[in-house]
Amino acid sequence: MTPYLITFLVMVGVFMFGCFALKWPVGVSMLAAALCGALEGMLAHGKGLGETLKEAARMMVEGEFGYVDTILTIACAMIFMKVIEDSGALDALSSLLIEKFHKVPAVLLILIMFIIMFPGMITGSSTAAVLSAGSIMAPVLLLLGLDNVTAGSIIAMGGLLGMIAPPVNTAALVICAGIDVPYVGFTGPLLLLTFPLAILFVLLLGLPKVKNLDYEKLKPALEKQDATRREYGVKIYIPFFVLVVLMIFFKVIAQRIGVEDIGMPVIFLISAIVGFFTGRKINPLKAVPEAIRTATPVMAILMGVGMFIEIMTATGVRGFIVMTCLEIPEVLWIIACCVSIPLFGAVSSFGACSVLGVPFAYIYGTYLNGNVVVCLAAISLIASVGDMMPPTALAGLFAAQVTNVKQYTKILKKCIVPILILLVWAGFVLVKSKAFSWAVFG
Amino acid sequence: MKKKGLISTCIILAVAIFMAVYTGISFNKKRNFVEDVVTEGSAVTRTEKLSTYNKYLANTFGDVDIYVLEGEEPGGSALILGGTHANEPAGHMAAVIILEQFKPTKGTVYVIPDICKSGLSHNDPLEGTPQYLHFATKEGNTRTFHFGSRASNPIDQWPDPDTYLHTSGDWEPLHLAEGANTTQTLSGSEVRNQNRCYPGIADGTLTERVSYAVTNMIKTLKIDMVVDLHESSPEYAVNNAIVAHERAMEIAGMSAAITLDAEQGIKIKVEPSPVNLRGLTHRELGDYTDTFALLCEVGNPSQGRFRGFTDEELAITGKDPCYKVASEIHEGKLLYVDYSSGDFPLSLRVARHITTVAALIENMGYDYPDKEILIDNVPDYQEMVEADDIGLWLR
Repeated sequence: MTPYLITFLVMVGVFMFGCFALKWPVGVSMLAAALCGALEGMLAHGKGLGETLKEAARMMVEGEFGYVDTILTIACAMIFMKVIEDSGALDALSSLLIEKFHKVPAVLLILIMFIIMFPGMITGSSTAAVLSAGSIMAPVLLLLGLDNVTAGSIIAMGGLLGMIAPPVNTAALVICAGIDVPYVGFTGPLLLLTFPLAILFVLLLGLPKVKNLDYEKLKPALEKQDATRREYGVKIYIPFFVLVVLMIFFKVIAQRIGVEDIGMPVIFLISAIVGFFTGRKINPLKAVPEAIRTATPVMAILMGVGMFIEIMTATGVRGFIVMTCLEIPEVLWIIACCVSIPLFGAVSSFGACSVLGVPFAYIYGTYLNGNVVVCLAAISLIASVGDMMPPTALAGLFAAQVTNVKQYTKILKKCIVPILILLVWAGFVLVKSKAFSWAVFG
Repeated sequence: MKKKGLISTCIILAVAIFMAVYTGISFNKKRNFVEDVVTEGSAVTRTEKLSTYNKYLANTFGDVDIYVLEGEEPGGSALILGGTHANEPAGHMAAVIILEQFKPTKGTVYVIPDICKSGLSHNDPLEGTPQYLHFATKEGNTRTFHFGSRASNPIDQWPDPDTYLHTSGDWEPLHLAEGANTTQTLSGSEVRNQNRCYPGIADGTLTERVSYAVTNMIKTLKIDMVVDLHESSPEYAVNNAIVAHERAMEIAGMSAAITLDAEQGIKIKVEPSPVNLRGLTHRELGDYTDTFALLCEVGNPSQGRFRGFTDEELAITGKDPCYKVASEIHEGKLLYVDYSSGDFPLSLRVARHITTVAALIENMGYDYPDKEILIDNVPDYQEMVEADDIGLWLR
């Protein structure tokens, strides 16, 4: 096992050196780490230099394509976000929601949280939740008087819980595929795991700052938003309607009536195109490149992550990490599960589900005789935390972006308590899965 | 500053183009690499195209050859599927050896060694697996075979939906268990999993079209038995096992207990096909046709999550230090394969598959004399295990 430890240290060392000493972008540092890991791992394993270079090149490009679907979704979501921002649709919606619900701030906050979660619930992606509903709700939260970091934290936690809440939980689906368990009966456990936390977190983070909301004092700040609303009327909301209708149709209804899913990237693009004609004038040649420029660092991280995981797997580092987690005594498995899965999620939360989620699902579902469905649901909730872990931190990074927070770490700090509560709750349900068997239905 | 930026941009662009072209050639070569199945000297009497059983497969990447091995005397019939999951090489290689070695004297054996040809044409991103496996034959020739992906190539069907809603299309069930569902929600990527798309849809995705053709072939030719050859991670509970549809349980049970265990010392479990795990051969082909549907699993370290350094050597020798450690901790309960020797070689895995197929066919003949198939030249299990080189059984 020592050779694997050396390769692991080389990869982590090169990544840290690239990130912190050379100040390279995270994606580039991951590429360098993957390349060095491949060279060290394969040469140490007795491969010739020619074969090593050939295989390293092939695997790195192969790994780069591991997240191509997510990369396309991010690029298109950013275009949509830019369009609704420039068209004035975000301003108009913020003004409308505050006007209608300002008398019941707690209800308004819970409503906002559910709206943030919704795209994640039907796509299984925290990125989709944060970039679509999160970006729409960000101005509302800010206008309610929340500071940018708190608003970003609510959006990030909403993204995490949205990706786990039913009906679509990609993390659970990845584990299901790994142990051949049908995705049946998950609705109850997932509702139980996510909805109480969603209500708790939004009130915990937001209520102290909005409970004394004074609408009259807020009105002058909403002047610009109100003007946009008056100027374009209902027409300005059409991109949102298109997005929601297309999402519901293609994610919930289409397959049942034999219509092919067009995918989130196309849904975002169609909604963005509609946005060009429903509000303020937008120059697509300026808006689209700007949106892509904003998304480039995250897309680069995902490409780097793909290379990193592929080389980790090929050189045996992945197996070494899994075995290190499983070698510890049984009583500590729950801690290993709650720590290692989110930490591996720093590379990729879905990768963590596949690499560590599957063995832990075997352990808790089969070896320790738990309720398999409840165990998988709980592990998927633990895995969601990976989307807050740097350097990838998709939910956190995008939440920072939509709330104009320069340092994402401020959001991570604010979310530490909710994350700990989430892990304790998920760990408790995982250990006591049999006691929650009643929740398995449908 | 601008000039410096331009130069570095040009250098990065040039490197990116070089990498794209260099690796593109490698991916294109794999996509178009044709395995040389040797029928000369074998018992193959004719070949058919799979599109014979689904016109929507014609001129697609899924239109593979069906190798027909006919005995002189009429009898029962069996279909052997290999390469359903192209990252499970024992299934693929066992089917190749069966078609090159088995000599039926009674009945007919149909073999499709590359049922998911699309899966063989690429590797899974993030899995770091080798592209090819090489074997030296008795004559000293090198035979090259694909090591592929669990799923069809995205070039053939993309993008995957967020979730895959499995349906049985227009097929009418013949033997559906009481209370069984016919639809099921699966992970989106499972839409490219050949063994989640049965009974198939004629004009569906490429994977569904292939499954449809297999189901239609079984119905059209009234094939008596189908055996789908797989491998599974050593930590997966269904391992070194025969998974049987309820109508095939007796054949599986007799084969495991008597022909394999008592007569040859091969320990193998018999697992019932789960009624509500849809899309799999042992469930759908048993429900939608009259065939005896069976699936064989054997432990493969090169697809497991605990594995160490991954290359061609691991796929062939099965030697892995991580699995060795896994077998020694927690009383060995983490694994469902005996890994105490530190390896689980391809020769052993292929030998288990070939011997199991022969046993299943033999026992079908005992239970149903009208479906009897007699086969000569079945490779000997002990000989294959001792030789530890499947190249010796390749023509």
